Amino acid sequence: MSSSVSDRTSTGELPTVRPTDLAQARDAMRDAARAGHRVLVRGAGTAQSWGAPVEPVDVVVDTTGLDRLVAYNPADMTVAVGAGMTMADLQDRLKGQRVALDAARIPAGATVGGLLATGDGGPLRASYGTLRDLVIGITVVLADGTVARSGGHVIKNVAGYDLTKLFAGSLGSFGLVAEVVLRVHPRPEASRTLAVPCPVTAAVPVAGVVLSSPLEPVAVDWHDGRLLVRFEGTAAGAATRAEKARELLGRGEVLGGDSEEAAWSGLAALVRGEEGRTVLRAGTRPDQLAEFAELLGSLADRHGVTAALTAGVGVGVSTVALAGGTPAGHGAVLAAWRARVLAAGGSVTVHRAAEGVLESAPAWGPAPATAPLLRAIKQQLDADHRLAPGRFAPWF
Amino acid sequence: MTAIADLRETLTTVLGPAGVISDPVELRTYECDGLAGYRVVPSLVLLPTTTAEVAAVVRACHRAKVPFVARGAGTGLSGGALPVAEGVVISLQRMRALVEVDPANHRAVVQPGVTNLAISRAVASHDLYYAPDPSSQQVCTIGGNVAENSGGAHCLKYGFTTNHVLALETVLPDGSVVWLGGPSPEVAGPDLRGLMVGSEGTLGIVTGVVVRLLRKPEAVHTLLADFPSIEQAGNTVTDIIGAGIVPAAMEIMDQLAIEASEAAVGAGYTLETPAALVIELDGPADECGELFEAVQELCHRNGTTKIRVAADDAERARIWTGRKAAFAAVGRISPQYFVQDGVVPRTRLAEALGTIAAMGAEAGLRVANVFHAGDGNLHPLVLYDDARGEHERAEKLSKAIAELCVDLGGSLSGEHGIGTDKACSMPVMFGEDDLATMDRVRRAFDPDGLCNPGKVLPTPRLCGEKPGPYRPHPLEADGVIERL
Ligand SMILES: Cc1cc2nc3c(=O)[nH]c(=O)nc-3n(C[C@H](O)[C@H](O)[C@H](O)COP(=O)(O)OP(=O)(O)OC[C@H]3O[C@@H](n4cnc5c(N)ncnc54)[C@H](O)[C@@H]3O)c2cc1C
Ligand SMILES: Cc1cc2nc3c(=O)[nH]c(=O)nc-3n(C[C@H](O)[C@H](O)[C@H](O)COP(=O)(O)OP(=O)(O)OC[C@H]3O[C@@H](n4cnc5c(N)ncnc54)[C@H](O)[C@@H]3O)c2cc1C
Repeated sequence: MSSSVSDRTSTGELPTVRPTDLAQARDAMRDAARAGHRVLVRGAGTAQSWGAPVEPVDVVVDTTGLDRLVAYNPADMTVAVGAGMTMADLQDRLKGQRVALDAARIPAGATVGGLLATGDGGPLRASYGTLRDLVIGITVVLADGTVARSGGHVIKNVAGYDLTKLFAGSLGSFGLVAEVVLRVHPRPEASRTLAVPCPVTAAVPVAGVVLSSPLEPVAVDWHDGRLLVRFEGTAAGAATRAEKARELLGRGEVLGGDSEEAAWSGLAALVRGEEGRTVLRAGTRPDQLAEFAELLGSLADRHGVTAALTAGVGVGVSTVALAGGTPAGHGAVLAAWRARVLAAGGSVTVHRAAEGVLESAPAWGPAPATAPLLRAIKQQLDADHRLAPGRFAPWF
Repeated sequence: MTAIADLRETLTTVLGPAGVISDPVELRTYECDGLAGYRVVPSLVLLPTTTAEVAAVVRACHRAKVPFVARGAGTGLSGGALPVAEGVVISLQRMRALVEVDPANHRAVVQPGVTNLAISRAVASHDLYYAPDPSSQQVCTIGGNVAENSGGAHCLKYGFTTNHVLALETVLPDGSVVWLGGPSPEVAGPDLRGLMVGSEGTLGIVTGVVVRLLRKPEAVHTLLADFPSIEQAGNTVTDIIGAGIVPAAMEIMDQLAIEASEAAVGAGYTLETPAALVIELDGPADECGELFEAVQELCHRNGTTKIRVAADDAERARIWTGRKAAFAAVGRISPQYFVQDGVVPRTRLAEALGTIAAMGAEAGLRVANVFHAGDGNLHPLVLYDDARGEHERAEKLSKAIAELCVDLGGSLSGEHGIGTDKACSMPVMFGEDDLATMDRVRRAFDPDGLCNPGKVLPTPRLCGEKPGPYRPHPLEADGVIERL
């Protein structure tokens, strides 16, 4: 009964199981194991294009029924939820607090489990990290139906291995994340963003001025010809610091309200990408931004593709959207750019590939030195390789 | 024993005679870590100076099937660096180079034997620092911090080691060398760097660390507030968090702990107060000042009887000395004691402390409390006198307190790790399947079970043994480091 999910997002017609509690999730995985079925775990289904295409599977386990708020303890700054709850829904339920994560895809309904499995993060990662830094406990269901817990419900905990990290970025290939305990932070009273026009090649030195000052921006990103420096805090504090940053740099415009919102949502739109684009995420040393941006520009020109880039300047995380040209052109830019980023010790992940791109450039680069280790872990957690088969091919 | 003799010969060729310790007297220096109750003399101690040498040692051990244990400064309080008899200890003490200080990228690359404080010292001139601050930071190594996922008084706001490490050069248990993580927080695929942090030296040996550095805050405000009860101090903490303020640190001491601390260092704490709360805020000057006033207001609303605001750095240091001295100082009012390291959800602190007091009364033993109130991390000190035959009762009480923390929804350990000491309590916190899953992960790294065997996960051998009483770490006795 295998059917193909080679288009990588439309898995809807496959046999689907939608558990609504942990016991059902365990049963679904156990039943699949008994039948020898290959399984794709899906949240909202919006990031199924991350990584390499999954080979045909027999069943989809849809986590969106696992959407219960399990426990919310504001005074402990913790909340436990089913992994299928959307992050947007979770944020709505928090009172005066937030999960300090602003991944571009949250408004589209990305689930907490999907966001953890993709290791995704937005501009706030400069101060709060990604979900891997905010999740303090998980309950997972392994391929054989084993239910395992790691971490707990308290923000300080060093008992046993931190399996949360292993599932961050695992794209559904190590097990199903059923429940997640998160640490929350107070929702800041106000925010302001200083927008400073500057070319990407100057983004690092300009940002450096603010980053080496005591003004404590929460996010510093370059997008569309401007450096966006965001401040959060008390109403007076955020405004004062944004203004001080403007004085320090001698230029720029302080944005608040709708104009601030628009600046950041423009950035998010680029990160999300759209049909026909190829979206890549790279991690590099922060000060290599100019070099990699210039390289990207010349590669794009050479292959008749347009390349838009946005970068978390202080942390060295960039997202690139390729548009126009041919699939082979996208593939050539991806391959050449990745080769240089890898040579500098960085990484590039494919978040979305326009149709046909992966025929000329593989979704993953050459296997890293950790590949044997990843294979050994896969072997221990999913010996028959039934979960998301092919997702990390050829690494494991 | 021939395996060890062979190994000694091979490794003397690799490390030179100065890199191999086999003299029985010298070996005893390594028989335990900060948890002196467990002691095992290793067969060999190796002192590599490069990653290649560590890899050569591990490869040789792997070939000979000889177990190996990594060791940093040996300040661990859970017996993580306890040697294995017929095994070797790989000390990282000679790998203490600051490989690269990179202020532009707010990071530094260091070898594992560099002390936590040395990192902050090396970058201070750039107004940067390394945030996690275990109170052993003058001597404990960054390698040990990575292994234990160490935290300190300031981790409520700034997080733990795992939030501040970008990449780890690691020698895997088969002797191969890999980098986990990368130049940015973004990693492609599962986060093995994060798994390595906190794995207590059981998944490999860390030989290089890329740490993230933070800009020093513009302002720091510290106060010491007295309260008529622990509950009122605790409610103040709750109210502060409820007001959306995340202080850099919030620490509570009870009367017994204050009494001990004052007798030792005289930091000016109020002797008769039932509870004292230390609060530190840091951040941009204007905002920090505004929030500090709000915090004082919340202290008043909860009935504080006295607030002492640190006027300068010297006074701030004095307040912290009182807090930090509490542990060693308890030795002055009790010949022996156990230190516990459990965590409870912060909202159950009052309940936890009440129950601990009742348990202490029932056991006929005094319990002093000093704790990281912001994150519910308790460090109850169970006082006893061996001469009065209280040892066993105290040991039982201490273990019961750790397990009480788990019953209340918390954790067996907040910062000291599981190691040898608490492995046998792990089944209280985790089910069989949880532990089996952790073991599967361990086997993926170390199928032969040679890398720090017997730690973290319970083994029948381990659980037959008993921990010993608190003994000050030699550096603690000399007043070099303090226990927080
Ligand atoms: C309008 C819009 C469109 C978008 N379209 C795309 C797009 O086409 N391509 C794209 O790359 N991103 C897209 N995104 C981004 C995507 O929403 C986020 O990246 C988010 O992380 C996906 O979460 P999800 O719940 O949808 O996960 P899914 O897409 O369902 O899953 C993502 C990965 O995590 C795994 N996974 C999910 N849940 C679990 C779980 N509980 N346990 C274990 N593994 C799990 C899956 O197997 C998969 O590998 C879009 C966002 C927006 C706003
Ligand atoms: C007085 C005192 C106060 C303390 N205060 C705190 C505190 O506030 N917060 C806190 O978290 N801890 C505290 N500790 C505990 C201890 O200092 C920390 O756990 C510290 O991280 C241990 O570092 P170390 O170099 O001494 O490691 P060791 O004790 O030598 O080793 C600890 C563990 O790490 C492993 N290890 C060491 N180096 C490596 C390496 N390079 N690669 C892989 N594994 C390695 C060992 O095998 C062992 O399992 C305190 C200890 C003392 C004595």
